[in-house]
Amino acid sequence: MGSPCEVLTDGGDKQLAGRLSSLVASEAWRIEDKFSRYLDGNVIQRINTAHGEPVEVDAETGNLLDFAATLFDISGGSFDITSGVLRAVWTFDGSDNIPAQDDIDKVLGRVGWQRVTWADSQLTMQPGMEVDLGGIGKEYAVDRCTALARSAANVPVMINFGGDLAVTSPPVSRQSWKVGIEGPNVDSAEKLVDLRQGALATSGDARRFLLRNGVRYSHILDPRTGWSVPDAPASITVAADTCTQAGMMSTLAMLRGAAAEEFLAAQELLHWCRR
Amino acid sequence: MAAGVTDMTSITSRKERSVSATLAAATCALLGTTAAAPVDAQEEPKWDFNTSLLYYGEDESRVQDMSLKSIIRRLFADDRTLTLGLTVDGLTGATPSGAIRQDVPQSFTRPSGSGSYVVPAGELPLDDTFKDTRVAITAGWQQPAGEKGLLSVGFSASKEYDYLHTGVNASYAHDFNNRNTTISAGFAFASDSIEPVGGAPIPFTNMLDVGDTSNRVGDQDKDVLDVVFGVSQVISKNLLVQANYSFSQSDGYLNNPYKVLSMVDSVSGDTLTRTPGIEGGPSGIFLFESRPDERTQHSVYTQAKYFMNGKVLDASYRYMTDDWEIDSHTLDVRYRWPIGDSSYIEPHVRYYTQTEAEFYRLSLVDDSLVPLPQFASSDYRLGNFDAITAGLKYGWKTRNDNDMSIRVEWYTQSGTVPAGQLIGNQASRDNYPDLNALIVQFSYRFSR
Repeated sequence: MGSPCEVLTDGGDKQLAGRLSSLVASEAWRIEDKFSRYLDGNVIQRINTAHGEPVEVDAETGNLLDFAATLFDISGGSFDITSGVLRAVWTFDGSDNIPAQDDIDKVLGRVGWQRVTWADSQLTMQPGMEVDLGGIGKEYAVDRCTALARSAANVPVMINFGGDLAVTSPPVSRQSWKVGIEGPNVDSAEKLVDLRQGALATSGDARRFLLRNGVRYSHILDPRTGWSVPDAPASITVAADTCTQAGMMSTLAMLRGAAAEEFLAAQELLHWCRR
Repeated sequence: MAAGVTDMTSITSRKERSVSATLAAATCALLGTTAAAPVDAQEEPKWDFNTSLLYYGEDESRVQDMSLKSIIRRLFADDRTLTLGLTVDGLTGATPSGAIRQDVPQSFTRPSGSGSYVVPAGELPLDDTFKDTRVAITAGWQQPAGEKGLLSVGFSASKEYDYLHTGVNASYAHDFNNRNTTISAGFAFASDSIEPVGGAPIPFTNMLDVGDTSNRVGDQDKDVLDVVFGVSQVISKNLLVQANYSFSQSDGYLNNPYKVLSMVDSVSGDTLTRTPGIEGGPSGIFLFESRPDERTQHSVYTQAKYFMNGKVLDASYRYMTDDWEIDSHTLDVRYRWPIGDSSYIEPHVRYYTQTEAEFYRLSLVDDSLVPLPQFASSDYRLGNFDAITAGLKYGWKTRNDNDMSIRVEWYTQSGTVPAGQLIGNQASRDNYPDLNALIVQFSYRFSR
C-alpha cells in the first residue's frame, strides 16, 4: 500500500490482536498483489501488456473497472484510470522541469477511458495504453479489511492505511475515535476529528509539485489536457460512510482545482480543504 | 441578472449533489454491501470559551460582589489542553467587625487608621469600608502521560488591594480496569502575602485612636499546601462514584487583620468604654483578634452521579475536620432534568453545618484573675452555624449550539454562640450575625 498500515482495537486481548492483524494483513497483501501495477503476473500487468488483445477479467477486477467507469462518467472524464502514462513526462520533484506541449501531446494519445472497450468482463485497449487502479486500491482495501474486521472482532476496530481509514463502530472506552489531520507541519495534527462511525480519506501531497516562474504545478493531472490541474488545493480530507466514497470524493474535488471548495460544499459531506 | 445567477448556482449544486448519490451506489456495487452505518464525524472544536457573570448580594447592605469570569480552553492534538482563566470581582459593602452590639452608640477607628465611624445603639457593628477589586488569573496544562495517565499542571495568581496570591498545582490521574477506575493524586501550593490597609495590627493589641499606628507592623505572609488523593469508579452504565481525601496545611499569618473582639465587663457583659481621642477613635476597648499561625485540615469527599435516561442525579457529601476543632458536614444534591432536546432545569440544595473553632469567642472578659486566652476570634465564619443554599438553574442551547444558563440561588446562614460564653446582658442580645444572600449567575459557553 506504499504506507504504514495499522489495525487499532478498543479492548480485546493479545490473541484477538494477532488474529485481526493477520486477517487484515493477508487481505491487504492479496489486494496489493492482485492490483499493483508494479508487480508482475497479476491482472493489471496482463491488461497492460495485452497489446490490443481483449483481456478477460475476474469478477472482482470487473467490479473495480465498473467503478472506474462510473467515476470517469461522473467526473466528466477527469478521473481516468488510464492517465498513469502521463507520468512518463511529468516528474514532481520540486524542480522547474515542466514538460513541453509536444511531449505531452505524444503521450496524450494513449490516455482516455473513452478509447477503451469494456463489456462482458472483457477489456480491450489500444497498444501502449495502461490502466492503474492505484487511485482506488487503497481505499478499497480499507473498506474490505473493515468489513472483515467487523465480522471477526467483537470489539470496535479502526483500519488505517496511511491516513485513509475506516472504523467498524464507535469505541466503547471513550466517546469517539480521535483522528488528527496533518497541517503543513507533518509532525503535529492541525485539526482533530471525532469519528464515531464511517471513514476518512485524504488526497493531496503538498510535497509533490513543480515550480516555474512562480507558478506552482501540483501533481494532480487532468487526463483531458495532460496538464497539471491549476489551483489544486494542497490537501483535501473527506469524511464519508465508506473509505472508498471519502477517497473518491476528495480526488474528484482535487481535480476541480480552484472550484474544489465549491464542489465539496455542494456534496454536504464533512470535509477539510487546505491550500 | 441576479435571479439568473442564482438559478445557475442551484442547478450546479443539484448536479454536484447527484455525484454523491451516484458514487454511493457505485461504491455499494463495488463492495457488495452498503455501509454498516452512516458516517458520524465532527471536527473537534479547538477553542472553548466559558464566560459567566455572577451577582452575590448579602442583605442589609452587607457584601455585594459582581464577578466576571472567563475560562478559555485551547485543545491541541493528542488530548492536550491549555486552560486560561480570568476573574474580575468588584466587592463593596459592609462586613461585621467582630465587636458586639451595645445599648449605646459605639465608635470605631477605620482599618486605615485615618478616620472613624459610628454604629448606632443596638446595631451590629459593621465595618462599611469594605471595598475591593480582585483580579485572578489561572493557567493550566493537561496532557496524557502514557496510555492511561493524565498529567495536569497549573499556576494561579490573584491580586486584591491588600492581598497577593500565587500558587502552583499538579496532579496525576491513572485509569485502570478498562478505564472504569481512575485513581488520582495532586497537590497545590500557595504562597500569599497580606498587606492590610494601614498595616497588620499586632494581635490582642487595642484598636487605637485615629492617627495612632503604633501597633501596626508591615506585610505578612502565609503558605498553604493542599494534597488530594482520589478514586473514581464506574459502577454501572448509570452510576459513577467518586471519593477523595484531602489534606491542607496552612502556615503563617492566618488572622483577619480587620477583625476585633470587644473587651467586656465580667459581670454586665457590656463593652468597657474609653474616651476617644480628639480626632476620633474607639469608644470602647476592642482587641485585634489572634489566631494560631498554623492550621491542619482533613477532609473526605464522596460523590455519586446517577444517570437515568437523560436525567442526572448528582449527590455529594463532604466531612471536614481541623485542628482548630472546626468540624463541618456538607450535603449537596442537584438534579438535572431535561426539557425537550435542548434545555434543562436543575434544582439544587446544599446544606452545610459546622462547629465553632476552639478559640471562637464572642467577646473577651476583663478579669485580672483570668488571663487572656492564647488565641481568640469572634469572626462569625469561625462560629457554630448552619447554612442552606437552595436554587434553580435553567440551561438551554442557542440556535448555533452554544450553551446558556441562568442560575438563581438563595443562601441563608444562621448561627449560635455557645451559651457558656454569654455574660450578663449579652444573653438578651442577638449575638450571631445571621446572613441571607441572593446569588444570580448568567453563563454563556461557545466552542469553535
